[in-house]
Amino acid sequence: MRSLGYVAEVQITVGFALGLALSLGLGWRVFAGYPRPAAPVKGLSRREAALVAAAAEALFPRGGAVPPSGLDAGVPAWCGRWLEALPAGTRLLVRCLFALVEHATLLFPAPGWDGFRRFSAQGPERRGQVLEGWRTSRWFLRRLVFTSLRAIVTQGYFADAAVLRALRLAPLAIVPPVTAADALYPPIGQPRSRVRFRADQVEVRGPLDRPPAGAPLDLASPLHPDYRERVA
Amino acid sequence: MTGSPASAGPWPRAQRGEAERSPGEVHVFADYHGELRDAADVVVVGSGPCGAVVAKELAEAGRSVVLLEEGPPFTPEDFVLDGALSMARTMREAGLRTTRGHVMPTMQAIALGGGSLVNSAICVRPPAFVFDAWATQFELSHTSRADLDPHFDAVEAFLGIAPTPDAVQGRRNLLFREGCATLGIESEPIARNVRGCRGSGECFTGCRARAKQSMDLSYVPAAIRAGARVYTSLRVEGLLHSGRRVTGVRGRVVAPFSGAPGPALTVEAKAVVLAAGCMATPLLLFASGLANSSGQVGRNLQFHPGVAVMGVFPDRVDPQFGATQGMQSLHFLREGFKLETLWAPPAVLAVRLPGAGLALKERLAEIPFASIVDAIASCHRSLGSVRPRRRGSLDPVLSWRPHPDDLPVLGHALEVIVDVLFAAGARKVLPGVHGLPDEMVPGDSALLRGRSYRPTDFVMAANHAFCTTRMHGDPRQGVVDEWGRCHDLDNLYLADTGVFPRCTSVNPMFTGMALAHRTAQHLHDRL
Repeated sequence: MRSLGYVAEVQITVGFALGLALSLGLGWRVFAGYPRPAAPVKGLSRREAALVAAAAEALFPRGGAVPPSGLDAGVPAWCGRWLEALPAGTRLLVRCLFALVEHATLLFPAPGWDGFRRFSAQGPERRGQVLEGWRTSRWFLRRLVFTSLRAIVTQGYFADAAVLRALRLAPLAIVPPVTAADALYPPIGQPRSRVRFRADQVEVRGPLDRPPAGAPLDLASPLHPDYRERVA
Repeated sequence: MTGSPASAGPWPRAQRGEAERSPGEVHVFADYHGELRDAADVVVVGSGPCGAVVAKELAEAGRSVVLLEEGPPFTPEDFVLDGALSMARTMREAGLRTTRGHVMPTMQAIALGGGSLVNSAICVRPPAFVFDAWATQFELSHTSRADLDPHFDAVEAFLGIAPTPDAVQGRRNLLFREGCATLGIESEPIARNVRGCRGSGECFTGCRARAKQSMDLSYVPAAIRAGARVYTSLRVEGLLHSGRRVTGVRGRVVAPFSGAPGPALTVEAKAVVLAAGCMATPLLLFASGLANSSGQVGRNLQFHPGVAVMGVFPDRVDPQFGATQGMQSLHFLREGFKLETLWAPPAVLAVRLPGAGLALKERLAEIPFASIVDAIASCHRSLGSVRPRRRGSLDPVLSWRPHPDDLPVLGHALEVIVDVLFAAGARKVLPGVHGLPDEMVPGDSALLRGRSYRPTDFVMAANHAFCTTRMHGDPRQGVVDEWGRCHDLDNLYLADTGVFPRCTSVNPMFTGMALAHRTAQHLHDRL
């Protein structure tokens, strides 16, 4: 009886030690060892910023047909701004997505003996292999996770003016004609006293609700001011 | 603020003369400072294409009208060109709403003008056979195409709906016409509610050229000129009722974008028109415990799931120029799908490109050489539901699964799109379908013949949603009658795509507006 009690005690102690080690290991994996970014990314934790930067670098490395990289395009900063614009529930889901991708290497490791390391700790080539595994998986949910992550990173990449200019897809300057509605609505957040036009100004400019026809846009049209190249 | 200075009294006379009409006004979030109370002949909930039509028609007929909208009005300076940030501002759940069951994105707008602010302005009358099927299956005797044509005509005349001219088609759209012509497939320019389109391709982020006649630029100003009072940033949370009659609505001010709640609102009315959209109207009925003796509220949810394919051409197409969706083909409508050209913010299109790293960048560089064609499928066998997330909640849980018999329709549509793109001269296509090669060249079309698909093979999206409060001649099987009046209540009307008994097979906005036009006339006659 006594020896059985001793065995149970040893088992409990070993189990506790293993549990503690596992918890510490998981805790370290989730929270520790992230590099300090040059500047904090507003809207993202350090861990999330590392994951987004790693994914942006893997999906959009520097060079090639469109020169800016995902990091050059400021994808993590964009991602922080976008997250702040989301409703709280949706924002939480996106954060869960980031955590899932970061740690899913435990289940779907990258090639190599250390393929279980978290996503952002993998080298650029391995990150690409991990993402390709998600993209081509026979499991729909894995493909869905990939599509969601890539959608976010791609939107951030294309938010950069240099990327759009490189593809000649940057928005053009359009001067909106004044319509009857412009005498009704103020800009969002402003009171009605901030409506830009009076009704009599609108009527002078043309029939109600009928903006004048304009010439079709083409590549010769000037770029939107926000998308023009800055000259130092 | 109590009452409205524009109101001549709680119950103005109907049939006021032109000279007696006083212009209405718009109330915006920054102007609300306390509890709101108002009264009108009719309160319309939702300023999308259907609600705006009802408000304008009733106001012009001399009725006192209050129009309520949860979103804010957008001016040109409120539009943002970044696709994702634009969606976060103009769409519910920031544009990230999806169905459960089969995970599929679906977007609903939250803005004055509703979906018309961010759709591509397509106005298509469904062919007669669509309405014949409605009549046969849902016991409708006054909803044929001939019955609705006068209402289509009225909306068409007001908005100036016309086929897209070649001058603003852009090469992307014209390639589709060439491909269809080569294969003997009928195609046509899409009729749209635009005036003076410049082919900016920015329909989905808001028309900076102010060419699109979205409701905030067309029907809502007309309603205001006729005396309607418009309250924006107001969320209706329930209906007030007594016996078989509704007596008004209650709700709350909500801040633009954040949705932070503000003061309460009550509007008393002789009749209520719910035009909150096929997702929100059922939730309002659930929250109010009304109109569901049939058990059909929130059921029968249908979509037009869409699949899109990108074709890459040898020469530059510059696809950003031209009407967002300028050409279509109704050739395969009886077989269950409609073809149309498509443009969207480049980031949205790039999401579907295969690969990563430098290979992905090579594909990005092909976007200026690309033309995109999509198909929307009439998946009327694939049914789902809208339910509140919890009792009384206005947040929906959408459930939907594609029916196995609808999948071959999507497969056939994919096959036709690929053929059209190759016939137009594409050197390769990117089908974006799991199990198919990332890229296909002209000889690869045979891979698609007779192929069977699983729902998860497609990357589908669907923004056309219907049937959650369907019309039916039998009160035991439908929520509203042919004029949009709830079977259970004498003065509650529904006017959005939820009343469709079955999907329209074509883009639904125009049909919804025609039905709303008829509902307004009917309601005016009964008041």
